[in-house]
Amino acid sequence: MQKRLVATVLCGLILAPSFAADSIKIAITGPFSGGSAPMGVSMRDGAKLAISEINAAGGIEVGAKKLKIEVIERDDEAKNERGALIAQELAGMSDLSGVIGTVNTGVALAGDKYFQEKGLTKIITPAAGSASMTQWSKAGVKDLSIFRFSANDGIQSAMVIEEAIKRHFTKVAILHDSTNYGVSGRDDLLEQIKAQGNKLDVVASEKFNLGDKDMSAQLLHIKAAGAQAIVVWAVGPELAAVANGQAKIGLHIPLLGGWALSMSNFIDNAGKNGNGAMTPQSFIEEPITPRIKAFIDNYHKTYGVDRIPSPMSAAQGYDAVYLFAAAVTQAKSTDTHKIKDALENLKEPVVGVITTWVHPYSPWNPADVNTHEAFRRNQVVMGTVSDGRVIFANDADRARLIKNASLDKPKK
Amino acid sequence: MQPTIIAQIVVSGSLIGLIYALIAYGFQLTYATSKSINFGQGELVMLSTLFSLSLLNWGLSYWLMLPLGMLFGIALGLFVERTAVRLALAQNSEGWILMTIILGLFFFSSAENIWGRDDHPFPSPFATDPISFLGIDITCQEITLASGVFVIMGLIELLMNKTLLGKAFAAVATDRDAAQLMGISARRIIMLSYGLSGLVSALAGILVAPITTAGPTMASTLILKAFSVAVVAGLDSGFGIVVIGMLLGALENLASFYIGSGWREVPGLVLLILALALRPAGIFGKAIVRKV
Repeated sequence: MQKRLVATVLCGLILAPSFAADSIKIAITGPFSGGSAPMGVSMRDGAKLAISEINAAGGIEVGAKKLKIEVIERDDEAKNERGALIAQELAGMSDLSGVIGTVNTGVALAGDKYFQEKGLTKIITPAAGSASMTQWSKAGVKDLSIFRFSANDGIQSAMVIEEAIKRHFTKVAILHDSTNYGVSGRDDLLEQIKAQGNKLDVVASEKFNLGDKDMSAQLLHIKAAGAQAIVVWAVGPELAAVANGQAKIGLHIPLLGGWALSMSNFIDNAGKNGNGAMTPQSFIEEPITPRIKAFIDNYHKTYGVDRIPSPMSAAQGYDAVYLFAAAVTQAKSTDTHKIKDALENLKEPVVGVITTWVHPYSPWNPADVNTHEAFRRNQVVMGTVSDGRVIFANDADRARLIKNASLDKPKK
Repeated sequence: MQPTIIAQIVVSGSLIGLIYALIAYGFQLTYATSKSINFGQGELVMLSTLFSLSLLNWGLSYWLMLPLGMLFGIALGLFVERTAVRLALAQNSEGWILMTIILGLFFFSSAENIWGRDDHPFPSPFATDPISFLGIDITCQEITLASGVFVIMGLIELLMNKTLLGKAFAAVATDRDAAQLMGISARRIIMLSYGLSGLVSALAGILVAPITTAGPTMASTLILKAFSVAVVAGLDSGFGIVVIGMLLGALENLASFYIGSGWREVPGLVLLILALALRPAGIFGKAIVRKV
């Protein structure tokens, strides 16, 4: 390493000074095709936006010099077994500094052990299933290199149940897919109902498989049970089938659920049947502050779209890269173990597009997963689907975010 | 359980079952003339649907897209006949089995490369709001689907039974060699049957896509069910496949409602096994007695 450093520095001196003397390698993984693709692609593109900004400014400051970021992309197709293979491949790379990504909880469960074995620093975003972090606390791992940068299902389910109680529902139906994400989502929901005082009566609990197009049997059960709202935990295409199925059998009750309800393949495939669906969001595609506006405009321009397929995935991918870069600068090293230590104790606040991150992580404590979870309840707002977009469900949230942003500004 | 809910389940199931029947009809048409089946029929459904979707996205109206999509289906059917079936039949070999599977895989990969792996919504000019009829909700899309299936099957049956061409079709179906000796071009009739089979698969796709969305994997489950329907009903009864198709659709819905959604596929398989064990020629099929 030392020799190569000297050699590259010499190279850099001999060649033009603008030549990238060295680089730092980061892998981005996620489903870039298939039903979860809107999240995967947005996360990747958001992350790459941050990377190109950093690279345009010369790279990440590491000690005296600046290192450009080099990206390795891998498409896990939302398949657990592919995720495991990719994780093995990446864990085998000696010069990789970190990994950002994973949309599907099952993929995280299948692959993250290889990163942890090698101590490779990984930031999970936007996979939200609780299990991807609780697996480590259950195993009692002492030193963890996996971080999460996503509002986990614990936070999301708490908000969804809160909203249901706030709207004076008493009878709800739970509907979920049969993946790790759907099942752990159902468990979180049941736990939250208990934690929030058993005010909701679960009159029906139904599930379906990935790829199902016809939900009428489940919905008819829900209809017969007299539910006032459906709490749903699944991803885009099947969510759309639920909303369309509701319209088909004339079951006009509100749909609340995990943030996959903001995915473009839900919004597009459900059309007007998706209107009014409520879901917790870490980021709403509304240009409420100059910084957010710049991010949204930049995304639209760079990728030639007028709507981000999954806005919160894009924003989280973007902010995750800035957090990682801050950790590299603080560690003054591309060594993944040192980056992990720095990430656990970030001294400088990191200005992101979601919020300004102040000390998001702390040293891992198996008794408290929140040590490696960046999101808290107040970084998440309720969004609602309205004519093809996700907007703020409560104006109060919008006002709060604008106010927070104005407080953050002087720091930059 | 309220009777309206049961009625609802049966009605929506049997309407979807009509699509199985229409695809199964495509099997029947080619089997009648050439005793061959396109094992890539599902890809024909999918490719024609995605092509039609592109036509809509280019700004064509639904009613202009419909005939063009069906023409595309005919072209695909003829393509399958020319590339995968004709040579095998000429050599009296069963090579068409593998060739049609290969063509199907080829179509599938092309679709993935052209349209991507995602499912797309398929717009339809008909409202999605349900109409209540005796407590049963039926959407306009389902009504269109049912009428589309009956109209096209009715037209083709009319063609078969009332025209000279239909007589030729029947002749080839009964005995290809004898028909050939009578001056009927068996090759043309087989081409016609593949063309018609492509047409009905295109129509099936266009009719079902607003309900299921369109994507490369859209037909993978449909085709298995259509195959069950074709086998259970027998490969030479147009009336039979409609009945069995509707029955299978209804049974599937009943099973997923009463036993659980994981059991949805079971009735089709049970029917298939029963039919193969008890009536290999199909419930409505004519048992062929071969004299040696």
